[in-house]
Amino acid sequence: MASATTPEAPATEDRFDRVATTTCGYCGVGCRLETRARDGRVVSIAPALDGPANEGHTCLKGRFAHGFTRSPDRLKTPLIRVDGELRPASWEEALERIVDELTRIKGEHGPDAVAGLASSRATNEDCYAMQRLMRAAIGTNNIDNCSRVCHSPTSFAMRKSFGLSGATGSFSDIDHAEVALLLGVNPTQGHPVVGARIKQAALRGCKLITIDPRRIELADYGAIHLSPRPGTNAAVVLGLSHVIHREGLVDAAFIAERTEGWDAVEELLAGYDPASVEEITGIPAADLEAAALLYGEASSGSLLWGLGVTEHKYGSEVVQLLCNLAMMTGKVGKPGSALLPLRGQNNVQGSSDMGALPDTYTAYRSVEDEDVASQFEAAWGAPLSRHKGMTIPQMFDAAVAGDLKAMYIFGEDVAQTDPDTAHVAAALENLEFLVCQEIFPNETTKFADVVLPASAFLEKEGTFINAERRFQVVEPAIDPPGEARTDFEIIGEVARRLGHEFGWESPWDALDEVARLTPHYAGVSRERLGRSGLQWPVRPDGSDSPTLYDTVFDRPGGRGHFAALPYKAPGDAADDDFPLVLVTGRILQHYNAGTMTRRTGNARLVDRDVLEVHPVDAARLWITDGDKVSVRSRVGRIEVEAKVTDRIEPGHVFTTFHFPETRTNLLVGQSADVNTSCPEYKVIAVDVRPIAEQPSFVPVLADGDGREP
Amino acid sequence: MSEVTVDAAPDALRVTIDGTTLEVAPGTTILEAAQAAGRWIPTVCFDDRQAPFGACRVCMVAVEGSPRPLPACTTPCGNGMKVETEEPTARRVARTVVELVLSELPEPPEPHTELARVAARLGVDGSRWSGAVHPHEDDFRHPYLALRHELCISCGRCVRACDEIQGAFALTATGRGFEANIVAGLDAGFEESTCVSCGACADTCPTDAISEIGLVAQLERS
Repeated sequence: MASATTPEAPATEDRFDRVATTTCGYCGVGCRLETRARDGRVVSIAPALDGPANEGHTCLKGRFAHGFTRSPDRLKTPLIRVDGELRPASWEEALERIVDELTRIKGEHGPDAVAGLASSRATNEDCYAMQRLMRAAIGTNNIDNCSRVCHSPTSFAMRKSFGLSGATGSFSDIDHAEVALLLGVNPTQGHPVVGARIKQAALRGCKLITIDPRRIELADYGAIHLSPRPGTNAAVVLGLSHVIHREGLVDAAFIAERTEGWDAVEELLAGYDPASVEEITGIPAADLEAAALLYGEASSGSLLWGLGVTEHKYGSEVVQLLCNLAMMTGKVGKPGSALLPLRGQNNVQGSSDMGALPDTYTAYRSVEDEDVASQFEAAWGAPLSRHKGMTIPQMFDAAVAGDLKAMYIFGEDVAQTDPDTAHVAAALENLEFLVCQEIFPNETTKFADVVLPASAFLEKEGTFINAERRFQVVEPAIDPPGEARTDFEIIGEVARRLGHEFGWESPWDALDEVARLTPHYAGVSRERLGRSGLQWPVRPDGSDSPTLYDTVFDRPGGRGHFAALPYKAPGDAADDDFPLVLVTGRILQHYNAGTMTRRTGNARLVDRDVLEVHPVDAARLWITDGDKVSVRSRVGRIEVEAKVTDRIEPGHVFTTFHFPETRTNLLVGQSADVNTSCPEYKVIAVDVRPIAEQPSFVPVLADGDGREP
Repeated sequence: MSEVTVDAAPDALRVTIDGTTLEVAPGTTILEAAQAAGRWIPTVCFDDRQAPFGACRVCMVAVEGSPRPLPACTTPCGNGMKVETEEPTARRVARTVVELVLSELPEPPEPHTELARVAARLGVDGSRWSGAVHPHEDDFRHPYLALRHELCISCGRCVRACDEIQGAFALTATGRGFEANIVAGLDAGFEESTCVSCGACADTCPTDAISEIGLVAQLERS
């Protein structure tokens, strides 16, 4: 129904009574969408032809998975816990309870006994409001968001190496890259529109190097696929760097003029010859050599990675090593040579950019920086804490220890998605007071004292920031159901009742405040964002930055930093008791906790989590396709259906975490990234065995009794 | 005479569309130049997200010096080329093609569809030719995608969207002549094919032969 020559496509066809152009709330690609509604229901969503990230395309989640907005399960009124049961309540009752309890706990135990979680699915303005609520109205830096459990290592590492926490280029760099190296990322499943873009680039001749324990779909379109043992990414990147250095493919001029710290890296690389790397990773030395030459010899090359890099004990170090690889070959800050971390949720970038982190205000400026803190103090008219708050895992530890008394969580189902479910449950159980602001009842709301009905992305306005640092406008397609309100409205009301007035009429006032207080976003405004958005840094004149670091890095002295980081073994490893390594991830049809996609037709396409097992392991373990199996780790046990496939390497198994009944995260332990405490969801030693519901052998009865065996 | 400049470069070509002269980059098609000049050319098999296909013969225009009309979507501009988009012979071809396409459908396309809008703008209302029409054959098995074979005009846009935009290669053209149609996989339906349910086919389809189930239901309700 769409082409540039369509004769005057009417803005509102008579089939629809409300249309809007918004930004997708599924994944960090940031597709621009045209929404069409009728009688308060979304009836159709089409990709915007001028969307910079999607260029007239989108996936089945963005286009079709909107039915959850009208699910009968939606929270439509506030709930409060009375005599152990959640019962419907008025907004007045619910808000009063929140204010009373938060005030009491703050009075008795101090502001640091309270913590809040902003949401990487919510808008920038929601997240900014939430961190201001915690900082100014409560008086604590105990604010974090779910990027903690996905891309915090990327943010940490890119700030260390280059200066800014974001992709160095844009998705359009994929179209111009001679080579694209994909490490620990499966874009055709997790980021389908970028996946399609990469596939098209590959069909046009871009050489793909895919590195993943699973043979991902794009491997079939690539030049070479490497399957390292989970947790050995550092050795892979060091090995690639070794070969590039040995072959004289380093960009000596770039290293000399633009960087610091190379000498130590050069020394370190000596120990990572392909034979040694093969020992660690299991990747044949010849394959590693071939991949290194492909990337090293190319005139342009982009690096893409995902949670397969970050969700490891040394995830942040591997991102630093990737930055090294780009710098040593001069492949950064040029067309076709970009470092593109593919962000998991739609606003992982923005929620952190907005300062919903325990250690930073907007644009990653430290809470310990006196100049910055006093600037926010002046703007907000409230005294602000100068010491760092707690990260999500620290919050749960503190709750278990009894030091953290209250949490206000919005838009995150920690009891399903955070690691070590039993520990999370103990923490939530131990809180004196828990507020959940959600669109559906979920595993976490089961522990809540107050549940507030909030809005989905199709019901709110504001902005998201996609994985290429692009601020994009979000417009409501429909109104929230029943008594549900927007997150922005709710957080502002709670702050007001706690005695702190934000002074905003709409999210756009909040965005203006962000721009006023943040030099990197100085030129951002709703008008300037228009239909195509702007990529930060956005200068006061409104000009933006599709490519970073074309001349200098954003570090003191302007030089990129090489980090000499050796390979270290992952936090968990297979042994005699737990002989297989489990990797977890997501699939095309569902989105993380599945809260939204499970309530759409997507559940008819895929209705359960399955455990991928290699045929060799399956045969050894007497598992056949479709069998129910038991998966036991050092901390938990689940039951799930097996799928026998050679997409996975022998010795490894894979599953998703989309269905709460599976409780995949019961298996994940406490191992986490050393710098950012991002959990190690990707390396879990497990024991898998069939659950014998039927006797495995039924004797055949003698012929002649008329019964089938 | 007005002047419009597109991608003016040293090697730019000068082309005149309905009296408007433009500078365009080499390789620009007549259709792209006409769009830049703000002129409408009817199309059916064209979608600017896909490579030009040149199958439907609806985008015919007159080019000075050419003995017959040329398809605008696949003909590159030449220096000094003069194009008339509404030249009577070219328009008669376009109208006749649309009329023939409509004659095969069991009922007129829904007014919101691209084919219906092109027909309306060309002043084609119905067809002079009666005869065989495609029998109703609907596949509603997929949760989101409806495939109504009787509405397929074999323009190939869905196949190209699947190949060139998504890269799923799930759709195939089958049959010849009047029997020509589209199938998912080996005609086992979307779910049994390599389809990833992205909906790019429904998005590009000019007749709603592939469309959203939800929208079909919506139409039936209203």
